[in-house]
Amino acid sequence: MTSSPLIHIEELKKHFQMGGTTVRALDGVDLDIQAGTFTVVMGPSGSGKSSLLYLLGGLDRSTSGQISVSGERLDQMDENALALFRRRTMGFIFQSFNLVSSMTALENVAFPMQFTGTSIAQRNESASKLLEQVGLADRSHHRPSELSGGQQQRVAVARALVNNPSLILADEPTGNLDTASGIAVMQLLSDLHRSGRTVLVVTHDPRMTRFATHKIFLLDGHVVSEAEYQSAILDMTQTVPE
Amino acid sequence: MKLLDLFRLVINNLSRRKARVGLTAVGVVIGTAAVIILVSLAIGLQKNATEQLYGIGDLSLINVYPGFGGEMFAGGGGSVKIMQGGGGEGSGSTDMLLLTNSALDDLSAISFVQSVIPREYLQSSMIMKFKKFEGGSGVYGIGTNDLADLGLETQQGSTALSRATVVIGYMVAQNMYDPTLRPGQEPPLPPDLYDQQIQLVLSKWDADGNEIRKNISVRVSGILTESGSEADWSIYMPLEQIKTLNEWATGIRVNYNKDGYSEVLVKVENPDHTLEVRDQIITMGFQANTMLDFVQGINNFYKILQVVLGGVGAIALLVAAIGIANTMAMSILERTREIGLMKAVGATNRDVLAIFLGEAAGIGFIGGLGGVLIGWLAGQGLNIVAVVYLAQQAAEQGGLPPSVAVYTPLWLPIFVLLFSIFIGMVSGLYPALRAATMIPVQALKYE
Repeated sequence: MTSSPLIHIEELKKHFQMGGTTVRALDGVDLDIQAGTFTVVMGPSGSGKSSLLYLLGGLDRSTSGQISVSGERLDQMDENALALFRRRTMGFIFQSFNLVSSMTALENVAFPMQFTGTSIAQRNESASKLLEQVGLADRSHHRPSELSGGQQQRVAVARALVNNPSLILADEPTGNLDTASGIAVMQLLSDLHRSGRTVLVVTHDPRMTRFATHKIFLLDGHVVSEAEYQSAILDMTQTVPE
Repeated sequence: MKLLDLFRLVINNLSRRKARVGLTAVGVVIGTAAVIILVSLAIGLQKNATEQLYGIGDLSLINVYPGFGGEMFAGGGGSVKIMQGGGGEGSGSTDMLLLTNSALDDLSAISFVQSVIPREYLQSSMIMKFKKFEGGSGVYGIGTNDLADLGLETQQGSTALSRATVVIGYMVAQNMYDPTLRPGQEPPLPPDLYDQQIQLVLSKWDADGNEIRKNISVRVSGILTESGSEADWSIYMPLEQIKTLNEWATGIRVNYNKDGYSEVLVKVENPDHTLEVRDQIITMGFQANTMLDFVQGINNFYKILQVVLGGVGAIALLVAAIGIANTMAMSILERTREIGLMKAVGATNRDVLAIFLGEAAGIGFIGGLGGVLIGWLAGQGLNIVAVVYLAQQAAEQGGLPPSVAVYTPLWLPIFVLLFSIFIGMVSGLYPALRAATMIPVQALKYE
């Protein structure tokens, strides 16, 4: 007997208009992701992997289909319910970090807690612990412009964890980082997974798959097998003119 | 989101863009300062005018005259007589409601009426003489103790009247002159008339146009304190004596019980009820007027002036409001990704709306505070200059010097400050709504 999946997606479609043509970012995706897994969604640019992540995070609306997270239907929630659901269930990590430039690392990490009504003392305490956990205790009063890319992304990881979410969604978290910083962030995400959280990372960086327990391959808005994906990637590289 | 967190976030966000917030707030400063100065000026003018007007007359006094073709009085147990025609003049078909003794009783019965005082004026021309001085004033007949009932006080003697005595107003003696004085000669000091015998020379003309004079000698038993009212220029003698003099002047013997008095003064307990009593008297069919009508007319004028001047200031505030809307719209464009982030980390649409509305209100508050301070200080400065100037004018032209030129009541800065916050919020509403309803993914991907 298998437990019900943390994420259940059925016939999910996301179509939108661009320059007069209909773009089918996701075109009938079915997926189940179990709790406690480290899932990497691989796909080239335009495959629909970011669309999938934003739909899973309730940051965008699908054209049709069902998305359930922890048994709750995101596609049936209103804006307010989605915001509250994100607040208590999810943590986001973005490729471009999205830190508030005027705030210190500590303030950036504590930022999401402002909306939960937590006291300042508790916010600062939680944020300090997390900064320590990501190895930036000595950088807590630095602003983003005073931190390296890798350090900024680690601040973003700490921020994603501050409301203690069960699901971490990361969009190309190593995309803007050098190799060493990228590996450090990957290691951090792996540690989160090992601490019991469900991690879903969207990337086209094959190194990420080293940490994954599950892999999903997307091509043109469809889920495909690894073999189909590899073959398509190979075709793409061969057809690229020199 | 807690209110305290909202305040802290708004303050942080505003302090991030000090220059832009400051420049936008300057617009609000100009607008609010203009409103404060202009409305304070209008209030100051009103205050000044009211202070001067309160000297003109007693605001609790109503002058009542017989009703000519007025409304018919139905109540009062028939105690008021309605006469047909009038003493040989008019069309003869006019209904007249006369101020007979029974009508006086009806007037006394009205709520809040303190006293009802019949008054007759001398119906002949009169020259007042004392030694080499001559003068003229209105002569009134009034009950022996009525001057005290009217609230008048004396600076010398008493207000009580008796036969062959008069009580004179403050300006009566000041207004006397020496008719033998030649141009260029220094006028003598006004005489002290208290306890002096003065001559009143009354004149009437017979059918052939010949002047007939009557000399009466009266003693000045009291001089009234200056009140700024009609009383300053009046001579009061007992009512019975005026009746006798009028009989001589007109040749008609008046039956006051039947023909009524020509004027009755109704004194109301306090000015708050003056208009109410005045209306009741008019409903009874008499003519009635009070100085309060005039004062209220002036007050209404100044209220309109306040609104007009406030409106001029409000135009400046409107321009500032457009500035706030522009600043907020720019801010939202620049911070689109931040809005996306707020939503991603769990901020509701209401949280985002509150943050941006709070920032707009904050600009309004900063500008409003600056404007109120500058407006108040400018008003005080203007006051010092204007009061000195107006006092000089008053000294040159006569009249009371003004106590204040620009007056800022406490409610004005409070109202203006709250209004500038409100203006900020209204200006920021559309940009804030746009921010609140942004689709998170589009905000996050905004370049």
